[in-house]
Amino acid sequence: MDIQRALELLHMTVFSQSVSPCGKYLAAGNNYGEIAVFSLSAALSSEAKEESKKPVVSFTAHDGPVYAMVSTERQLLSAGNGEVKAWNWSDIVKKGCKEAWSRRPPYRSSLEVPEINSLQLNPKDNSLLLAGGDCSVHAMDLESGTFTHEFRGHSDYVHCLALRDQYQECLSGSEDGTVRMWDLRTGAQVQVIEVHKYEECSRPQNGKWIRCLATDCDWMVCGGGPALTLWHLRSVTPTTVFPLPHCQQHVMFYQDLILSAGHSPAINHLQISGELRAQIPCTPRSVHSLCVNQRSPEHKVAGCSLEGGGRMARGRGAE
Amino acid sequence: MSSDSSKKRKPKVIRTDGAPQESKRGRVDPDQDVKYYSEEAEVELRDPSKDYELYKQTCQELQRLMAEIQDLKSKGSKDSAAAIEERRIQSCMYFMTLKKLNRLAHIRLKKGRDQTHEAKQKVDAYHLQLQNLLYEVMHLQKEITKCLEFKSKHEEIELVSVDEFYKEAPPEISKPNITLNEPHQQTLARLDWELEQRKRLAEKYKECLASKEKILKEIEVKREYLSSLQPRLNSIMQASLPVQEYLFMPFDQAHKQSETARHLPPPLYVLFVQANAYGQACDQKLAVAIDGSVEDAKALYKPPEDSQDDESDSDAEEEQTTKRRRPTLGVQLDDKRKEMLKRHPLSVTIDLKCKDDSELHLVFYYLLNLNVLTVKSRVSTAAELSSPVSAGDLLSPGCLLSCLYPGDHGKRTPNPANQFQFDKVGILSLSDYVADLGHPYVWVQKLGGLHFPKDQPQHTVTAESSLSASHMELTMKLLRTRLQSRLALHKQFASLEHGVVPVSSECQQLFPSKVVARLAKWAALPYEDYLELHYTKDVVEAGLAEDTHLYYTVLVERGTAKLQAAVALNPGYSSMPPVFSLCLSWKGERTGSNDDNIRAMESEVNVRYRELCGPRPGYQLLTNQLQRLCVVLDVYLETECHDTSVEGPKEFPQEKMCLRLARGPSRMKPFKYNHPQGFFSHR
Repeated sequence: MDIQRALELLHMTVFSQSVSPCGKYLAAGNNYGEIAVFSLSAALSSEAKEESKKPVVSFTAHDGPVYAMVSTERQLLSAGNGEVKAWNWSDIVKKGCKEAWSRRPPYRSSLEVPEINSLQLNPKDNSLLLAGGDCSVHAMDLESGTFTHEFRGHSDYVHCLALRDQYQECLSGSEDGTVRMWDLRTGAQVQVIEVHKYEECSRPQNGKWIRCLATDCDWMVCGGGPALTLWHLRSVTPTTVFPLPHCQQHVMFYQDLILSAGHSPAINHLQISGELRAQIPCTPRSVHSLCVNQRSPEHKVAGCSLEGGGRMARGRGAE
Repeated sequence: MSSDSSKKRKPKVIRTDGAPQESKRGRVDPDQDVKYYSEEAEVELRDPSKDYELYKQTCQELQRLMAEIQDLKSKGSKDSAAAIEERRIQSCMYFMTLKKLNRLAHIRLKKGRDQTHEAKQKVDAYHLQLQNLLYEVMHLQKEITKCLEFKSKHEEIELVSVDEFYKEAPPEISKPNITLNEPHQQTLARLDWELEQRKRLAEKYKECLASKEKILKEIEVKREYLSSLQPRLNSIMQASLPVQEYLFMPFDQAHKQSETARHLPPPLYVLFVQANAYGQACDQKLAVAIDGSVEDAKALYKPPEDSQDDESDSDAEEEQTTKRRRPTLGVQLDDKRKEMLKRHPLSVTIDLKCKDDSELHLVFYYLLNLNVLTVKSRVSTAAELSSPVSAGDLLSPGCLLSCLYPGDHGKRTPNPANQFQFDKVGILSLSDYVADLGHPYVWVQKLGGLHFPKDQPQHTVTAESSLSASHMELTMKLLRTRLQSRLALHKQFASLEHGVVPVSSECQQLFPSKVVARLAKWAALPYEDYLELHYTKDVVEAGLAEDTHLYYTVLVERGTAKLQAAVALNPGYSSMPPVFSLCLSWKGERTGSNDDNIRAMESEVNVRYRELCGPRPGYQLLTNQLQRLCVVLDVYLETECHDTSVEGPKEFPQEKMCLRLARGPSRMKPFKYNHPQGFFSHR
């Protein structure tokens, strides 16, 4: 391996991942704009060798880091520097795959191309929500490819998105320390939660940025600079502050648990009551994203994609 | 009775009575003048057997008479005296008969003896005669054989065969009419002829000797003439040297070199020839020379008998000395090791001159028993080099040429067969001896045409010039690059130790004009210490930090913030970039493992090295990396968001122009500097 590649590997960070619709493949995007596809069945089988843990195929998708990826029924959507590209899952394992389409949200300033930090699918009206460096949330219709809404309000760039399916609202957490709720039909800002102003969860030494969000309509959990906190949305009160010292970078609701991971080499299994039920150690030192492979009955594994030498680690779901 | 004097018996018997003698003696001598009684004559007449009977009778009578006398005596009567007397007289007569008989017997005996004696004497005389004759016969026989064995000298002379003789000899010598018939004459003639011939040949021989002497004298004269010529030719050659130099055709020097080159061992010869060829064709600044003693080289190839004798002598000597002095096993092994690691007395020197007048001197040696080449290096510069403390290893002979090609560390012998040789004498590895012998790099073997394939160990590896030729150009280029890069680093280190990062004018555009963070320390770091650091583990695991690398520690300071960096410098600098590992001590310890932005800073310096190479040939990479390190530290410190809970102003007010302070999920700081606008942005 030449020295350039060796150095790149040393400094590689995987930011995003997505499981294929069939549940057999895992796509991961890194900070060099490359997407690598791994075969889960090969890597997790009993006779897996070192070779089977290497990507089946990897290609350069974007010219900036791939910060977010989601999968639809047939396509993988990846976000790079100010653009979203779609790849067909059926073609992606073949070499020389070309994107199915590529879209650019309408940015106002042209000084710097803003990154896209989060992608969220809205299956109800077949649209894609994206948010990133231009401090606003865009909504794109997947069929037509047009951008329908732009939700402006944040004063700093948006880190994460969450969808409140029932009410057709979307939540966005931002660097400015607020979580805002947007009505997807009208495009109006419903609510602003200034998380850092609440004493229970605020941690000024870390900053006020909100890095991760998850919601299941009535509840919301968010974390980042402030501590990971569970909020009751209707009353907008923080109910539980989870005792995690590190900044959390990804959080999700899974069955009756809350899974979170952050600047520590562990995946935390938390109960809604606030108890830390389990802390699963994982290889690299900081975790950027978690995803659960719901689609394959054989490989029901919680994958976590993380940084630190560009390695991927697997943590078994606490079943 | 007196006629008994003819007998030789002396004692006379005195008879008491003149009793009448036996009638048997009754011969009476008629003549008084010739009156002798010859009993000898009587003996011949009588018959011995009758005498014997008579004797027996007489004895019987005597016995009878004696018996009667005794009887009479024993009776003791008076008339017995006469009877006794009678009987006595009779017995006396018988006694006389006995005496006679005794005499006769004696006479007979004597006669017999005389006769025997006579006969015996005769026989003896004959016997003696016989002996004499036999002796004479023997003597004569010996003489005869001697005569017969006598070889005349003439038979030792090889004569020409008879036919040839008759053909060649002139008739007055050969005289065929006589000689054909008489072999004696023939032989004489042949001898004559032989003599003739020999005389003639002796003459010829003398003539030849004389002519030989003459010719020898002529040769001497010519030889002297030639030997007087040699110094004159030498002087002409010397005189022509300035002309050669003037015309840039150093034939003389080249000729001398090729003379010496004939004594080089094959790999060194290949190296010499190829280096010379390359120098003449492509590289004017490459000079090749041969050093060492040619006599020693010639002595190595002594004829086998001499060397065997010497060996056996020296063996014998050694044995004796071991018996006397008993040296320890270590001393013996030591000698064996020295023998195994012996160098050929000749060595090839290559001097590479660079544009700035610095020179790399390489001396190549050949190890006889191991069939490998080694090299020793030395650098000389036009100006005296100041030695910064941290630059100790840069130009040291041990490290200068390490890893010229990746992985070629020169610590082990490239010839796999050597391992078996080493085991015999207890050498663990050649690396213990490299200080003295030089390094056995693989490229050195290739330049000497030696190829040691790993998967097929060959029995004997011979030098091939094609291998040498194919590697020569690249190796020379790499050597020059290596020297230049090390010298550049040397200069840079001198400046770095004083806390100044030297940035050349061409590279100023890579950095903002104002850089606040300062280089506080630059020092060399031992490899073991590098491994101990907690923030270098990733680099070590990735295989980017090996024991052939050079390691340094850097301290960059700004205010209360101290940034420590460990640098792993690849010997192949600058085509191989140095790798930095960072640790920031400011409000806690932050390294690449716990802070994404520190990782980003490392990435800026390590991964983006191509931007920092500067003008070709890129020796300024290290200093540019250091400068960039200072710049990104500035950015990091100034863009850190203020902790509102703590009182007091920000320690580092933001002076850099940035579009955005954070970007992306890892909240990356804007480390990229844009020239000439002078603002910082994200990648």
